[in-house]
Amino acid sequence: MIYLDNAATTRPSQGALARAQTYLTDCFYNPSALYHGGAEAHRLLRTARASLLSHIADPAAYDLIFTSCGTEADAQAVFGAARRGNAVTTAGEHAAVHESFRELKNRGVEPRFAPVLRDGSVDEEALLAMVDDKTSLVSVIHVSNETGAVNDIAALARRVKQKNPRTVFHSDGVQAFGKLPFRLSRDIDLYTVSAHKIGALKGTGALLKRKAYTALPPFVYGGGQENGMRSGTENVFGIACFYYAAEEKFACLKEDGARLAGYRELLWELLGHDLYTRISPADGSPYILTVSAAGKRGETLQRMLWDRGVAVGTGSACNSKKPHSRVLEACGYPTAVLDGVLRVSFSPATSEEDVRAAAAAMNDAARSFGG
Amino acid sequence: MEKVVIVRYAEIHLKGKNRGYFERVFCVNLEKALKGMKHELRRTSGRYLIAAFEESDAEEILSRVSRVFGVHSYSLGYRVPNDLDHIFEAARAVCPTDGTFKVETHRADKRYPMTSLELSAAIGARLLESSPALRVDVHAPQHTVYLDIREEGTALVFGSFEEGAGGMPVGTSSKGLLLISGGIDSPVAGYMMAKRGMEVEYLHFHSYPYTNEQAKDKVVELARILSRYAGGEWLSTVKVTHIQEEIHKKCAPELNVTLLRRFMFRIAERVAKKKGAKCLITGESLGQVASQTMEGITSSNAVVTLPVLRPLIGFDKEEIIVRAKKIGTFDTSVLPYEDCCTVFLPEFPAIKPKLSFIEEEEGKLDVEGLVEEALASCERISIH
Repeated sequence: MIYLDNAATTRPSQGALARAQTYLTDCFYNPSALYHGGAEAHRLLRTARASLLSHIADPAAYDLIFTSCGTEADAQAVFGAARRGNAVTTAGEHAAVHESFRELKNRGVEPRFAPVLRDGSVDEEALLAMVDDKTSLVSVIHVSNETGAVNDIAALARRVKQKNPRTVFHSDGVQAFGKLPFRLSRDIDLYTVSAHKIGALKGTGALLKRKAYTALPPFVYGGGQENGMRSGTENVFGIACFYYAAEEKFACLKEDGARLAGYRELLWELLGHDLYTRISPADGSPYILTVSAAGKRGETLQRMLWDRGVAVGTGSACNSKKPHSRVLEACGYPTAVLDGVLRVSFSPATSEEDVRAAAAAMNDAARSFGG
Repeated sequence: MEKVVIVRYAEIHLKGKNRGYFERVFCVNLEKALKGMKHELRRTSGRYLIAAFEESDAEEILSRVSRVFGVHSYSLGYRVPNDLDHIFEAARAVCPTDGTFKVETHRADKRYPMTSLELSAAIGARLLESSPALRVDVHAPQHTVYLDIREEGTALVFGSFEEGAGGMPVGTSSKGLLLISGGIDSPVAGYMMAKRGMEVEYLHFHSYPYTNEQAKDKVVELARILSRYAGGEWLSTVKVTHIQEEIHKKCAPELNVTLLRRFMFRIAERVAKKKGAKCLITGESLGQVASQTMEGITSSNAVVTLPVLRPLIGFDKEEIIVRAKKIGTFDTSVLPYEDCCTVFLPEFPAIKPKLSFIEEEEGKLDVEGLVEEALASCERISIH
């Protein structure tokens, strides 16, 4: 199976699993336990936290709160920061942020959704126009999980703060962390990352928080783990995998990015342009190429491709119960295009042969659609 | 004091000389329903007693009994020796301590020293004495305590009658093959036939890769829910993708569904014969969709000789939904996966297709070859 649905989840790194193994079998202790074994587990958490932070932020300026997934980190950010007035986000968010914003309305906060451009990135001017002196939170996805479009969150955060310095700025960086080279600027208060998109395990995520932003409340209460910000016994093994997998990814981030950008363009070149239209922008994430076989059904093509040995995504795996992608609808595509969306997403393990085989299978599937 | 479930059966008493057969099947079905739970099933005159079960299983036993066809009503109560003290003890256990009540006695044992009225009065008086907040109301009581004096020196004491599923024991009315899609109607159709004692086998058509595996899993789940009433161990699935593609390529688009249904009926008849089923069962309701017109029904019936039973033919969608909710299939049915019929849908399906036109269009296809090919794809999936 040629696995090209890495934006949905990734195959866990064998290296990371092997290194983390000891925290599953030997050092299985509760990190809060006050004997040697507990201290050892706790030490791992500290090392992992520092290492994960250091890849994208100044560890002196940011904290990292381990959570059970990216969705939980997003929820903590949205519900913790948007407690009055209004909150602004984009029409291109992942469901984790989008649905949390919709829920804000029930909690007395007015959600505002800024439109997106054709490629899925936010219309910056429209977003800024929505920010006013009552805006408590702005949340902008870093890399669109549906199109790979990259939002310039550093610039956006700066402009938001210029307009209202009290507004908290959050970004969902699940598709960016371990894939794009960047550092968090000090205007970004909260940033969500997830482990299973970079070769670690499902069930592990984190929320990065600027230390100077102290008003964020806990989301899960209990034994006071994570400095009281996220109670619950820590997923030591999952966190260890996250730590080691991130080390692997960041060791060759730029090289991988350059190579995969090449594959993304190669795939697009090899696809029949009478069969597929391109949705992903040229300057987007090297890891995602979203196309549409207009007039055909992406979901059917997806199964035809699976039978041909290639796994790809449709709009978004989290969204597969709804007929069309909400985000791509917001981008303004007609129904026929929305029907036929396929999202091809790479990992550093992807090879040129994979890409060529996938292109051939995609052309073949689209041609034989309908018998 | 022994806790028991009293099970009364429905139409079996009407069955004259066949009564023994009906009772045997009923008993087997009850046993099947209670499989895996500690219990004893005892037959007494005109009713069954389930006894010797774990106290904590009582709820589940009641729920399982409620799904057995042929059950007229059932009650959770006590079986005690028929002296006053024991009867009172049981009556106190089933009667709340406040509100209005009455005691109703039925004597199967006419040799019992007290009349029904005397016994009711005696137990009623004792209940009043022990629970001062109780009041008697013989016309519209909030609670009724039922005393049933049996012949073997015992009495059954219970507080309510629960309505059973009714109908006839499954297996007493032959076997039918249910064409089950993922929709709301077909499970209800299967339920209706099982209620009349028919054993149900399940057949599902899919169009992979145009339909997905989740849709198939959903049908397995529907069959599993239905099998709690209707029995059955397996779901047969047949892939009709190639048939749909051929129809799509070669025939008039407005006949897509009509032609596909004729193929499905042909295939179903062969599957039915192999399984010993004597009829096909579908969830069609007259006029509900384009293929369920009289002309549509005529065109599909024309290709089979087995009778096709359509128990929902005169039902409105709303009535079907009410039943589906009661059976417990509704929530699964409405999960949003596409079933066979929604792929390759023509924009304007023919509502009143002429048989001659249908046959002319069908003539463009290798009917026998396609049926054989589809049958070769037949898979059997365990629904348990």
